[in-house]
Amino acid sequence: MALEWKNLSFSRQILPVIALVGLIAAVIFIFTGLPDRALTEPDREPPRAPDAMAETARVAGSGVVEPSSEVIQIGSALSGLVTGLFVEPGQRVGEGEALFTVDDRAARAALREAQASITEARASIAEARNAQAIAARQLALYRNVDDPAAVSRAEVIRAEGETSSASERLKLAQARLQAAEARANSARTEIGRLTVRAPIAGEILAVNIRKGEYVSTMGGGGSQPFIEMGQTQPLHVRIDIDEEQAPRVALGEPATVSPRGAAERQVKATFVRAEPLVVPKRSLTNSAAERVDVRVLQVIYALPKADGLFRVGQQVDAYIPANSAAGGEAE
Amino acid sequence: MVRKLDTTAIGGCNPEAAICARGVTRDFTAGQQTITVLHGIDVDIRAGELTYLVGESGSGKTTLISIMCGILWPTEGEVKVFGTDIYALGDTELVEFRLQNIGFIFQQYNLIPSIDAASNAAVPLIAQGMDRHEARERAVAMLEKLNIGNQAHKLPSQLSGGQQQRVAIARALVHEPRLVVCDEPTAALDAASGRRVMDLLREVAVAEDRACIIVTHDNRIFDLADRILVLEDGRITHDGSEMPEGH
Amino acid sequence: MIWIAIRMLTGDAQKFYGLVFGIAFSTLLITQQLTIFVNLIERGASGVYNVSNADVWVMDPVSRTTDVAYAMPSTALDKVRSVEGVEWAVPHIRAQAAVRTSTGDLEGVAVIGVDDATLIGLPKRMLEGAPDVLDQPDSVIIDDVGTTRMFPDESPIGKRLELNDQRAVIRGVADAIPSFTSTVVLYTKYSQALRYVPGTRNRLSFVLVGAEHGVSADELAKRITDQTGLRARTRDEFAQDGVDFIIQNTGIPFNFGITVMLGFIVGIAIVGLTFSLFIRDNIKQFGALKAIGVTNAKIRRMVASQAALVGLVGYGLGIVGTVLFIWGFAGNPTFKGFYVPWQIPLVSLVAVFLILALTGWLALRNVLKTEPASVFR
Repeated sequence: MALEWKNLSFSRQILPVIALVGLIAAVIFIFTGLPDRALTEPDREPPRAPDAMAETARVAGSGVVEPSSEVIQIGSALSGLVTGLFVEPGQRVGEGEALFTVDDRAARAALREAQASITEARASIAEARNAQAIAARQLALYRNVDDPAAVSRAEVIRAEGETSSASERLKLAQARLQAAEARANSARTEIGRLTVRAPIAGEILAVNIRKGEYVSTMGGGGSQPFIEMGQTQPLHVRIDIDEEQAPRVALGEPATVSPRGAAERQVKATFVRAEPLVVPKRSLTNSAAERVDVRVLQVIYALPKADGLFRVGQQVDAYIPANSAAGGEAE
Repeated sequence: MVRKLDTTAIGGCNPEAAICARGVTRDFTAGQQTITVLHGIDVDIRAGELTYLVGESGSGKTTLISIMCGILWPTEGEVKVFGTDIYALGDTELVEFRLQNIGFIFQQYNLIPSIDAASNAAVPLIAQGMDRHEARERAVAMLEKLNIGNQAHKLPSQLSGGQQQRVAIARALVHEPRLVVCDEPTAALDAASGRRVMDLLREVAVAEDRACIIVTHDNRIFDLADRILVLEDGRITHDGSEMPEGH
Repeated sequence: MIWIAIRMLTGDAQKFYGLVFGIAFSTLLITQQLTIFVNLIERGASGVYNVSNADVWVMDPVSRTTDVAYAMPSTALDKVRSVEGVEWAVPHIRAQAAVRTSTGDLEGVAVIGVDDATLIGLPKRMLEGAPDVLDQPDSVIIDDVGTTRMFPDESPIGKRLELNDQRAVIRGVADAIPSFTSTVVLYTKYSQALRYVPGTRNRLSFVLVGAEHGVSADELAKRITDQTGLRARTRDEFAQDGVDFIIQNTGIPFNFGITVMLGFIVGIAIVGLTFSLFIRDNIKQFGALKAIGVTNAKIRRMVASQAALVGLVGYGLGIVGTVLFIWGFAGNPTFKGFYVPWQIPLVSLVAVFLILALTGWLALRNVLKTEPASVFR
């Protein structure tokens, strides 16, 4: 044995050892080099079905947050330059509160003109009344003279004519007054219309006009509404549901809603209504050119108060319980 | 090996005989022809003797010796080696029997070229299952007996023909077999060397209870035999201690 | 006796090294070629394996692989979300686009749009930058192979590209396995990807789905298919689809099959011839051993041990050669992500075993046929 250890044989001892060591190294290399294909949990929380709904039938949809009044696009009845702007985005306004005014100088001039006419008409009335009174007294004087020779028949006729002419003048002046008052009223109405007021109490969502800009009754530039507002307490959410899924939705049940990007913050939204009209799917992928040949049922839910979590126009993911019957069918 | 003597099977077998062959016939088939090489040979080989088996090429001596040492089946007849009817054994048992009881010296030695002299000589012991190192020690002892103990670590190719012959003899004797078969041990040697080998064989191989058969046609060494069997055309034509006249 | 057998084998250095070379060569050829083959066709699945989060991929019924996909309407996402057992589902877009580089070259790229909010769909690791660079406007993340293709000698960070007349700024480099065609890949947000890729009606290529805890991907995929009519594949199935697509549409399996077969045949030829010569050279010794009293079973064991030694050394060297090859080329983008699947060394082990068993059996036949009596002739 000792002898053999001294004369180590390359082919009998060293080579097999090299082969074995190489094999072991290779095995280690192979097993450490295997590709890492393990499944991992996502780093950021994706929208998940709520725990309560995880094992039951459900329908998922995506939607957009909107005011409970829907978005009101404020227009203007008259065109002209904006002379006053009284609100800014985010401001809460009461019903009837002025939002902006359009240039009212022309209307005011007309008003002043009408008011001058009123004054003038009133003066004419006074003058007519005066003339009428004089004519009436003269006529009475003639009638009281018994001596027919004292007053000629012609005098009497002339006096009678003056009296009736004076009452006609009075009527004319009164009519002129009414016309002038009507003109004044119309000018006042116009001035009122040049001030645009909030139709409901709500929140200003967007203001797309600035002082000095021209507004026309045809809408603003780029067909933007001048001011967008809506009732944001509470907020509603309009969920699109694929028409194929629509029969499964349990209408009336609350939905679980989470905003895009904050999927872990889920809230319960109460059912408001389902739109009676099934409409083509409006794309939510920001691409203007995109059209899709699917139709969707829109279901409206009211969101609970959640400070700043939801904003109008935001996209949300929603899970709605499915009809147990329809769900059972789908199983 | 338990020695079983079954005298009823083979008529007239001497229980003391080392090998007892009765009616051994061997046919070889070559194509359509059947050639009978041995014609019912009856022969006893005694222990303690140096027995020569002599014959021309083709006389059947190789076939006879093959049959007597259990490596070639006879067509007919029976062979008992130290009382064991070897052709009644199973294949594996027969191989085992050879391994335990027979030592072979081949004409061309057939040493394994890649192991040294001592390991070559130790092959039968290793084959018997002995630990390699112990087997080598005993092989070296045997080589020393044959006066080549100092060559034990050399490869066969580094040894002369005579030394290789001695290694082959050591291999045949190392496990102390009871029958030694030796094929033309002197064919490749000059007369003097041949005689030395034969002297050596006589000295180490011949023993009280060991039979030793030498197959040869080398007439230079006929005088060293105890007994000479002459085989001609498959029959034993002479059995005596001297060669007959005319050879 | 085994000791003697080994000595007999190694005593003839020429034949021993011939045998070892034959086995090592066969092993190397088979293992290395199979490794390249498997890695190459697995490039078809790289798109799937690069996304580490999705259990199930949902697509249009006619979509076949990550690169051969027909877009779906965007409501498909909600349909999938409606299925029980879906923990989450996000949109995923894959499209081809042409990019104009700052030097004016045009390069075909794959644009992958990942979910805006969660960034699910990005590769697991980044080489430079963090995934959240996509939150910056006009950001894209390029993959590392794309970096070597488009910006060979410089850092791609901050480079501007022009995609469909849109500006894109590279702000990160992802560590991803390249696709079969090694196309440059740009990762960006889903909404951004819609702008970068010229528009068609439907854009949503895939919906990536995470399974609810306790729901197996197989079961979920089946459920989604049943309920939505869309094609849902588990991650492994879809990876397999990608591999199958390459197998069906290229000559790769045939070519590599030929090479592997050649390796096998060359192995058999070299080893068979050498082994037969070795046994023939030693037939007299074997004959002598048989005469002395070595059973056929022991002879078989001797030859088996010789084959085992040759196999061990040859196989070991062959595998080491393959590993060195893969290791040596690991830095080359062509071989990026190449690995040795553990099954392949086993395949070549079986091949080596077959070669040795076949040639050993052929060689042994001579030995076993040898009459011990022949030693007297």
